[in-house]
Amino acid sequence: MVFSKKQNGQASSPEMVVKFLENTMPFNELDHEMIRDLARHCRVDFFPKGTRLLTAGETELTHLYLIQRGGVKSFITDDEGDVTLKDYRGEGSCIGALGIIRGALANLDVETVEDTFCFLLPRQIFLELIDQQPVVAQYYLKSFSEKIVHTAYSELRHHRVSRRSSEDLYLFSVTAGDIIKQGPWKISSTAIIQQAAAEMTGHRVGSLLVHDPDDPENIIGIITDKDLRTKVVAAGLAYSAPVSEIMNSPVRRVLSKAICFEVLLQMMAMGIHHLAVEQGGRIVGVITSHDIMLLQGHSPYYLFKEIVAQQEFGGLYPLSEKIPDVVRSLIQEGGKAGNITRMIAVLNDHILDRMLTLLEQEIGPPPVRYCWLLLGSEGRREQTFKTDQDNAIVYADPKDEAQRIEARSYFAELARLAIDHLVKCGYPLCPGEIMATNPLWCQPYSVWAGYFDKWIAAPDPKELLNVSIFFDFRCGYGDATLADDLRNHLISQTRRHEIYLLHLARDCMASRAPLSFFKNIIVEKNGEHKNKLDVKHQGLTPFVGFGRVMALKYGVKETNTLARLQVLSEEGHISQELWSAASNAYELQMHLRLIHQLRKIEQGEPPDNYIDPAQLTELDKRMLKEAFGVIERLHGLLANIFPLM
Amino acid sequence: MIPFLKSIKLFRKPHPVLERNRQLFVDFNQSRPLPEYNFVVCDTELTGLNWRRDEIISIGAVRVVDLQIELAATFHQYVRPRNLNHNQATFIHRITPEQLREAPPLEEVLPEFVDFCGDSLLVGHFVGIDMDFLNNAARKVLNGTLSNPCIDTMRLARLYKEARSASDYGHCDQSNSYNLDDLSQEFGLPRFKPHDALEDALQTAYLFLFLVKKLGRGEVLTLRQLYQLKPLWHLL
Repeated sequence: MVFSKKQNGQASSPEMVVKFLENTMPFNELDHEMIRDLARHCRVDFFPKGTRLLTAGETELTHLYLIQRGGVKSFITDDEGDVTLKDYRGEGSCIGALGIIRGALANLDVETVEDTFCFLLPRQIFLELIDQQPVVAQYYLKSFSEKIVHTAYSELRHHRVSRRSSEDLYLFSVTAGDIIKQGPWKISSTAIIQQAAAEMTGHRVGSLLVHDPDDPENIIGIITDKDLRTKVVAAGLAYSAPVSEIMNSPVRRVLSKAICFEVLLQMMAMGIHHLAVEQGGRIVGVITSHDIMLLQGHSPYYLFKEIVAQQEFGGLYPLSEKIPDVVRSLIQEGGKAGNITRMIAVLNDHILDRMLTLLEQEIGPPPVRYCWLLLGSEGRREQTFKTDQDNAIVYADPKDEAQRIEARSYFAELARLAIDHLVKCGYPLCPGEIMATNPLWCQPYSVWAGYFDKWIAAPDPKELLNVSIFFDFRCGYGDATLADDLRNHLISQTRRHEIYLLHLARDCMASRAPLSFFKNIIVEKNGEHKNKLDVKHQGLTPFVGFGRVMALKYGVKETNTLARLQVLSEEGHISQELWSAASNAYELQMHLRLIHQLRKIEQGEPPDNYIDPAQLTELDKRMLKEAFGVIERLHGLLANIFPLM
Repeated sequence: MIPFLKSIKLFRKPHPVLERNRQLFVDFNQSRPLPEYNFVVCDTELTGLNWRRDEIISIGAVRVVDLQIELAATFHQYVRPRNLNHNQATFIHRITPEQLREAPPLEEVLPEFVDFCGDSLLVGHFVGIDMDFLNNAARKVLNGTLSNPCIDTMRLARLYKEARSASDYGHCDQSNSYNLDDLSQEFGLPRFKPHDALEDALQTAYLFLFLVKKLGRGEVLTLRQLYQLKPLWHLL
């Protein structure tokens, strides 16, 4: 019996499913009739937050889940019960496609993280669709391979940074055959191990193919550096034993026309680093995981090598411009924001190191020991892209008046030249003039100690806030003992005068978590950035401020916010649970900020911190909301430790 | 004369479709778990709220099987009212008089609807109003009333909101409206366009799934448990 009546001109096929499918990849590629037909086969189900949808290795997939509203997380639980989060999926995503296509049980645990409505498309209908519609099949196959890479590379949460150059696509265009440079180097299975080692050394290779003694074309095994280490040296095997005793057999092969991406997948899947490359039935060489890694441009390591090798200022300028490329590739490879900002700090530090080394060569050695201090986000190793310079110089107390004068003029000159070079490298001047060129911030140790004494012992709340970035100082270049001494001095002074911390804590608590962001109310109330989230000041600063106050209070020397939180947790000042919630919340926001800034740079605009809610997915918003919830908890803790008097 | 006619009508046999309907519920058992029942979530569009004077102009319904909404089986039908003139309500419902003039009369639509309902329980938002009109119409054209047990999502929503506010003092932004649209917004459900019988039925079906599963708190309720839920039940 058909109840769907159409004689009134009112079709009762489910309009909203049709609309949903029309806006969801890959169904949007299908024609309208087909979408209507699919829609009629769907059912709607509701899963409250926290419902387990799939259990790895157990759940049989009877239908595809399409998320209409809500979100899920997928994760893996290992034998010891440890849970590794794999992925969040939100509206428009699907669950179970891979399992259905492979005819296998679910390979991940999936649980709803919000109240979730799903359309359920029966397995059979989905399989028919895959069968008949190449666009759909292609979409899923592509997304699987991307997903596999994506998980393999690690914890990339959102893959939304555009690929700018074709270099990044090497993995998808270069074939195994293109990569083989030499060889194949091979040895008879009857040869002795020592001879094999000698040949490997002679050819400067890490592996040798092993052939049948009677037929050099018949490859029967492979030996690698690792075999020599583990099976010979470590096991005490005689060097005169035949190679056949330690070879791995048979040799795994790939076709020379296979793209490197497939090669990498195969290596990852089998957990091996060497594959023989076969062409027309013959082994023509060996490809290693290292060869493939070399394909990826913008490696931070190469940039690092280029920086430390620079002999001229002019050569340093363009190198700092390359940092965004490195950052992009790190984000794409799934680097965590905390690691990426630390990487940026390392690269910036090397540029500074190189630059000041060259400067000392140019103007002569300093009259006394000195330390180039980095403050604020640089001091915390939390820079993203080009942020303002915040630096200072502390030098050893001169022993007499003549040295005092000499030191003053030397460091003034050093600062002037250094800041100039830094600007040319693309680091903008600090509008607040917190730079070594400001005579106030280029002083001997005793003056610096006096500054901190004054800020701590007789705090003027307003001034204190202006100088809060000084508390995050670290040594950027030069004699680190000066910075260490200053840090120890600060810690011992703090023990005696905690009162200034109260001002810092109160300032932290003054900023409210921007939860209204999610009620579609105003975020920034006016001006150019109306209705946008200032992720730095509204989102990240509360964490930075918390880390700073708590680190000062408990004498933690770290300046990096995540490191401060970790030490605070290890020493029992905050609970482990709060530590993990706070680090996740902080890192997530850093991640969103990095992606946002990278996008700005790619659009040719200066990077800023204003995130438009329209750029965020529902899932981002949900995660941000959780992150903001943590801010309230931090405030609660501060209010306990620093009660209002 | 008039009492005489009435008494004749009373003694007339109910329409066969109602007889079948009655048979389906003779041994109705409330102790099974909810997924084992079929539900039909329905909504009627009316010319007004006075059940003596106003009439049904459209019926929309979706079936819920295994606590999942079946999109393949929906019911949507306009009904030609006896009196086409007094129905201002049609403007709200975006139904044109033309559409109504072309629609079949209740005598045709109602038996189809009763068939569509089959052995399902009827679910609606303020379902009492829909039932008043449906039964009134059934008495007129089918000589009887529907036997399907009913579930009111409004009642479930009230239970859920009470349970929630009692267990979560911090929850302050909930409204006191029990209007279908407001509830859907409050609970974050996907939204449908109001004042269309089928869309409203779908909206109600979403609300129904949401409430039944939320009220169960991870457990599958039996129909009897659902009926017996009391306000503030979780505190007892």
